[in-house]
Amino acid sequence: MSSVPGTDKKTKLLVYTIEECPVCGQKTKRAFAVGDYVTKEAAKCSKCSNPTRVSLVYAEGSKPSR
Amino acid sequence: MITFFYQTRLQSYLALNDISRGLNKLTVMKDKARKEAIDYLVNVGKASNDPTQRVDQFLDYVTIMPVDIDPAGLVGKIDHVVTTNNDRVRAEVGALLSQNNPVTVSISENLLEVATSLNQIHKIVRHFYLLGKKTNSYFTLIQLQMLMPMIIQEADALLNAVDSFKMGQPVGDGVGPVVVSRFMAGKEKRVVAKDTVMAITEYKGRKLYVLKADGPMAYVGQPGVAIKKVIEEMGAKPSAIIMIDAALKLEGEKTGEIAEGVGAAIGGIGVEKFQIEEAATKAKVPLYAILVKQSILEAITVMRKEIAEAADKVTQVLNRVIEEKTKEGDEVLVAGIGNTLGVAQ
Repeated sequence: MSSVPGTDKKTKLLVYTIEECPVCGQKTKRAFAVGDYVTKEAAKCSKCSNPTRVSLVYAEGSKPSR
Repeated sequence: MITFFYQTRLQSYLALNDISRGLNKLTVMKDKARKEAIDYLVNVGKASNDPTQRVDQFLDYVTIMPVDIDPAGLVGKIDHVVTTNNDRVRAEVGALLSQNNPVTVSISENLLEVATSLNQIHKIVRHFYLLGKKTNSYFTLIQLQMLMPMIIQEADALLNAVDSFKMGQPVGDGVGPVVVSRFMAGKEKRVVAKDTVMAITEYKGRKLYVLKADGPMAYVGQPGVAIKKVIEEMGAKPSAIIMIDAALKLEGEKTGEIAEGVGAAIGGIGVEKFQIEEAATKAKVPLYAILVKQSILEAITVMRKEIAEAADKVTQVLNRVIEEKTKEGDEVLVAGIGNTLGVAQ
């Protein structure tokens, strides 16, 4: 997973990819992988087996371990 | 007594030390950005020859803006110079790489732009530092010392952008394209301007013309040319133009806050804004803006959760604006403005 420094430099940002099923709306969050992009076809939905799409890629902070 | 007489000298000395420390930071930053760009060209772009010399020439590449003492037709001239520059950069990057994957080429372009910007910032700061030192100018040094924290902050933001670009991750500036991509998914797309695509869809009885830069490449496209073309050449008669863009927040404002307004929501040098305003004024179409607040660092680095979550709220705001400002049977033009890296359609 890629990580970048956050705004305050104390938190590290971890990047996630959100896959969403267009049929049942099930969302899955996983670590970002190079080559991911919004609207890319992704894995099959764990609930209804329909192909999912990447709906978002974003970073959120994680406090560094002491 | 000594402090009284030598106060300005002492302050100049302290300012010189401060600026020197900042300048050292800038040197490290610009060298790192240069190295990252070269590494990317070699490792990902598989550059056929050593690109170091070409990159170094590129860093000093200048764009000479047209003369503005006679401002008539100035926007057209700026557009011509900027387009020439962009075309040349793409052609040169393309020639350096031994592959023509558009995502890799666009990322290489952006990395070189970051390295060029940092090189330029370093040069200007160094110039005023040396000038102040040489002429022993207290006021030059004090002004530069006061500006240094903001300059370092901006340079830091640029350097942080390198990581996001290399990985092909959407940046905060791409929030407009993220919203618009939801309307374009599964629809037929057509190229309406350089690096800019459009799809036609429908929302509650309105015909929507939605456009954004061609993703997932790191493009910003030519929304000005595209909007003009849709209205003037494709015969669209929109009742409203709605633009979604990232906007720089003021200190104290929250990241991901949404602001609504009127006018052309687009940054840059001003050419695109001029073209959009001109096309809208000529066709007497109201321009509405939906903005997502973020800092400069957040705009050019990987999209933060708050900004990504704002995309859902922006979609709701967009739907409301369409419903409030237009009626069934109307046509609406929706433009997602921003760098579309990592955001296809």
